[in-house]
Amino acid sequence: MSERVEVGTSQEVPPSEWGRRQPLGSFSPWVFVLVLGLLLLGRLVFTPYLTAPALQAWATIFVAICVQALPFLAFGVLLSAAITAFVPASFWTRALPRRPFLAVPVAGAAGAVLPGCECASVPVASGLMSRGVTPAAALAFLLASPAINPVVVVATVVAFPGEPMMAVARFGASLAVAVVAGWVWLRFGRADWLRIPSRPVGDGPRWRSFVEAMRHDFLHAGGFLVVGGATAATMNVVVPRSWLESVAGIPVVSVLTLALLAVILSICSEADAFVAASMTAFSPTAKLAFLVVGPMVDLKLIALQTGTFGRRFAARFIPLTFVLAVVVSMAAGEVLL
Amino acid sequence: MNRLTQSMVLVLLGGAVLRITTVSTTYLNYVKPGFRPFLIAAGVVVVALGVIGLVQEWRGSTEPGDHDDHDDHDDHDGHDHAHAPRVAWLLTLPVFAIFLVAPPALGAFSARSEEAPARPVAAAESYDTLSAGQVNEMTIGEFVGRAWGEADSLAGRQVRLTGFSVPSAKKKDRWYLARIQIACCAADGVALKVAVLDAEMPPENTWVEVVGTWKRPPSGELEPGTVAPELNVTSITPIPQPVEPYE
Repeated sequence: MSERVEVGTSQEVPPSEWGRRQPLGSFSPWVFVLVLGLLLLGRLVFTPYLTAPALQAWATIFVAICVQALPFLAFGVLLSAAITAFVPASFWTRALPRRPFLAVPVAGAAGAVLPGCECASVPVASGLMSRGVTPAAALAFLLASPAINPVVVVATVVAFPGEPMMAVARFGASLAVAVVAGWVWLRFGRADWLRIPSRPVGDGPRWRSFVEAMRHDFLHAGGFLVVGGATAATMNVVVPRSWLESVAGIPVVSVLTLALLAVILSICSEADAFVAASMTAFSPTAKLAFLVVGPMVDLKLIALQTGTFGRRFAARFIPLTFVLAVVVSMAAGEVLL
Repeated sequence: MNRLTQSMVLVLLGGAVLRITTVSTTYLNYVKPGFRPFLIAAGVVVVALGVIGLVQEWRGSTEPGDHDDHDDHDDHDGHDHAHAPRVAWLLTLPVFAIFLVAPPALGAFSARSEEAPARPVAAAESYDTLSAGQVNEMTIGEFVGRAWGEADSLAGRQVRLTGFSVPSAKKKDRWYLARIQIACCAADGVALKVAVLDAEMPPENTWVEVVGTWKRPPSGELEPGTVAPELNVTSITPIPQPVEPYE
């Protein structure tokens, strides 16, 4: 703030936009030096006092979420940057059906190919959109991919020994939610709700735009991932699990409870089946809701989607997905489990 | 945030990840051992991104499309495409947490907050027969799985379990041997517990090795996920925390 005031008083000619930029530009490296100094000083001075069990548990979970998501995020960002830099836009128009109505299910099913969790799919979906893929189709991919890829399906089978229908139901319900959400967006979604990240492509060598895209996406998505991780860690430490038991027996409430828990805990989609399996008191339908909602809506994803596609998008798309996921898993649970 | 700072944040973050995975085993407090190669790869990629940026900055070879001028526009909904917004500063938060709090493995605090015992993940359908003459080493997950599923296989067999001590939140003179089981990272940890009988509780959150025999509950079989199985203990040995703190 003070920086700007100072600049404001020191300028003589009415400044252009650019004149104002210079001081701030050289300002942030000093903030960085300050950060570094705090780190070194803090390690000597504060570390002995930062030992409250609750704080340590929070920090462990927070760091765990960030560290665990990092490889997936780096992979997703790499893939997304490769899509923008090396795959010509014409490829997507040929690969996907011309009619958006058909492109949605095809893109959703294509989610089965990307073996990652939800952190990887957001940058990839945004990369697809910036290369001209219909937003609704990219969104179907975004929702389906973390839930139906082979790694997650195998994890689900392993976590529920003797209950193969759980993996089947999860696959079917997740794909259905993704496709329906894509169609709903296609029919009712408005272009100005969605901020499609445009990428500077073309000028300069390809590897350069590749590195640029990766760097931008990583810093951007990474920052929002930290927001999501911090919120999820807080919920994890603050919300007692004991109240879960009290609602486990009530039909619809138990489903909603586990759906909300999936949002709060923000567990990686490759691990959530194990957590669901450990909640023995709940009905299979409630566990299915946990598995369907988790990879599509959770605090980590809300932060990532808001950051990538904008607040107006997130405010509409996330509730839509949540409601669809709960309804579809109830129906699938009724039929299959 | 300009390019120089972005690069430095990237190097800092990547460096922190490489530090906890290569020169120490701290990463085991957060994720499964299998994550190590992926974490190292990701750390290298992030550091490389930062170093490339620093080199470019050093050479002053900023391309014509260098958009430093737009740096400030990303406060609102307007999104700047060539530059990281301020939110990227948050990437220093995990680094702060790693260096300042140095988060330890989840322990008694987390195990205590879940009073209801959790079911071990993927309890095997059938276990090996235990030998009668000697002490059988097993994970708490296996012990709980046997006690809830195939209780007879435990009858009269001596077992050795490793975990940390947690007092019961409800009963005063009861304590548990507990261990956190994770499937992927510490956020999905569930606490497995065995009630320890006939022994004084060591200070909370002490790592111990316990030898004892399973005590058959009065009702015969236990309903899985209801009550923690009990162990009649013959010896308790304090041990340092295992390198891999989770099951």
